[in-house]
Amino acid sequence: MKEPAKRISTKALRVWRISGVISSVFLWLLLIGASVAIFMNQWPLWIFFILVAVGVAEVLIVVVILPNMRWKRWRYEVREREIELQRGVFIVRRTLIPMTRVQHVDTKQGPLLRKYGLGAIHISTAATIHEIPAVEIEEAEEMRKVIAALARVEEDV
Amino acid sequence: MSDPKKLHPLSTLLTFFRELKSLVLPIVFLFFMGNGEKHNIWDYVPIIGIGAVILFVLVSGVVKWLRFTYRLEENELKIEYGLFVKKKRYIPVERIQSLDLSAGILHRMFGLVKIRVETAGAGGGSDSEAELTAITKAEAQALQQFINEEKSRKVLANKQDARFEKAESRSDRDIFYQAGLFELLLLAATSGGIGVVISAVFAFLSQFQDMIPYEKIFKEAAHFIEMGTIVIAILVFLVLFVAWVISIGLTLLRYAGFALSKEEGNVVIQKGLLEKQQLTIPMDRIQGITILENPLRQMLGYCSVHLESAGGAGEEKGSASMVIIPMVKKKKALQMLAELFPDYCFSASLTPLPLRSASRYIGRACLFATPPVIAAAWLFWPFGLWGLTAFLPALLYGFARFRAAGWNVSAGQLTVRTRGVSLQTVFMLRHRIQSLEMIKTWRQRQRKLASVHSVVKSGATGKKIKVTDASAADAEEIYQWYELRKKG
Repeated sequence: MKEPAKRISTKALRVWRISGVISSVFLWLLLIGASVAIFMNQWPLWIFFILVAVGVAEVLIVVVILPNMRWKRWRYEVREREIELQRGVFIVRRTLIPMTRVQHVDTKQGPLLRKYGLGAIHISTAATIHEIPAVEIEEAEEMRKVIAALARVEEDV
Repeated sequence: MSDPKKLHPLSTLLTFFRELKSLVLPIVFLFFMGNGEKHNIWDYVPIIGIGAVILFVLVSGVVKWLRFTYRLEENELKIEYGLFVKKKRYIPVERIQSLDLSAGILHRMFGLVKIRVETAGAGGGSDSEAELTAITKAEAQALQQFINEEKSRKVLANKQDARFEKAESRSDRDIFYQAGLFELLLLAATSGGIGVVISAVFAFLSQFQDMIPYEKIFKEAAHFIEMGTIVIAILVFLVLFVAWVISIGLTLLRYAGFALSKEEGNVVIQKGLLEKQQLTIPMDRIQGITILENPLRQMLGYCSVHLESAGGAGEEKGSASMVIIPMVKKKKALQMLAELFPDYCFSASLTPLPLRSASRYIGRACLFATPPVIAAAWLFWPFGLWGLTAFLPALLYGFARFRAAGWNVSAGQLTVRTRGVSLQTVFMLRHRIQSLEMIKTWRQRQRKLASVHSVVKSGATGKKIKVTDASAADAEEIYQWYELRKKG
């Protein structure tokens, strides 16, 4: 089956990496606490090395590997009569949303996304909400208009 | 019908009871707090508190009744109400989907009905609807007629004759299904209501610790045990039996006189012995149809039929799934449904899942059985190892789920069958499906399997219908069936 045509912005990688770093900070704080305990109690040193290994591996996974895999998978396509999404690293999800079912479209921008000039698009149907996480903000605004217009046209039919 | 009307004064009492019901826990709590010996004035506070609360609820019921008015004016149903703040709710008549009637015992003693106004509001929830707690039957009829006329005047402005025809044919609506006594008894006997009754009995008993001399009972219980286990077994059986009979009685009360009919593009349901209810579901609000067979009923060849509706009135709170046929032979159900819903196809033959997904179903079932089995083996070593036998039913259950699962796509319809405990067959029209998702986990990709989730609107939210572990090719077929892109 053909994949949806468009990729999300490459800047999304940077945003995900930064939020990966932020979430790693908590784990590192825990690890540092544990290391202090190890030195205070003079426990065997190999426990410390295991902790360091865990910390490095986590950073590698959360900051480098996962964002890469996520970005490679993420595809979307806005067609005249429907929207198609594909996402997920281990669990790959492909979603179809007919234009007739779209009730409204929002663009959202958190502080991180704003810094990189990106926006997230939320597409709501009567029962579900779907997100395209990072698109250039001008494109996002454009897409919001296009989807809104297409959804309205379909409804008239 | 343009002057403001009040509800029947009885609504004061009804509001009072309803509010009291929601306050029953705090009142019971206060009651037990204030039950001790009275030494000084502070010990009377709980009792006074109860009195004050009850008085407040009563007065607020009266005030609410005094301030509640409704009227039909300028093509709108205008309701004004509010205890402290005056609130106005104007509902345009064309937004009114249906009026649902119900009448409890009190209502019926005075010839009244309760009316719930169902609107097509997208928000759902209880706040988007309006409720007239008690009005006379005549007023209800006038209201209904007025709304019907307003609506049909809009639609059939230039078809005067058609309107008269319709108005006449409305009086004799076609009844599609009426629950017979045998079916009702069967329904009651095979429903899960017994568990509810037993737990209610226990809850009830534990409420009256002060009044029931448990110690005495325990002493006598000791005598009982001497009398032998057989007597106890018989007693337990009797208690269960009585609970069962009570649950049958409750079900009978709830579903007695159940009738399903079709009327002007609406499905109308009437039911109830003590509290009579009439629900109206517009055909164009129906999102999906479900046939449910619990194992007992399946063996007897019976099933129940449910509707997913986009409008608020659900059976239970929070769900908009409602029973349209509580108990019927499956063959007859299929016939009736075909007649009731000509847009749907109820005879599609389902594609089963590939054999390689059986192990996944069985594995999942066994996974759920694993923690208790390990716990049992560890706690009661070595006898706990007998817990391993629990894997056998888990295995069978997993296999039963695998065998039950199936799907079909035809021109405009997706049919999905699954089993939780009950066998569930869901029929969905394509243009009612909100969105559709194909899911492949890492393991599924290796084994060339995939799942498909389709979402239909149900009440304010959605309901996910899942085909789990179909072959990847089949899942793609469903996906492409839903796709609107030009093929090729």
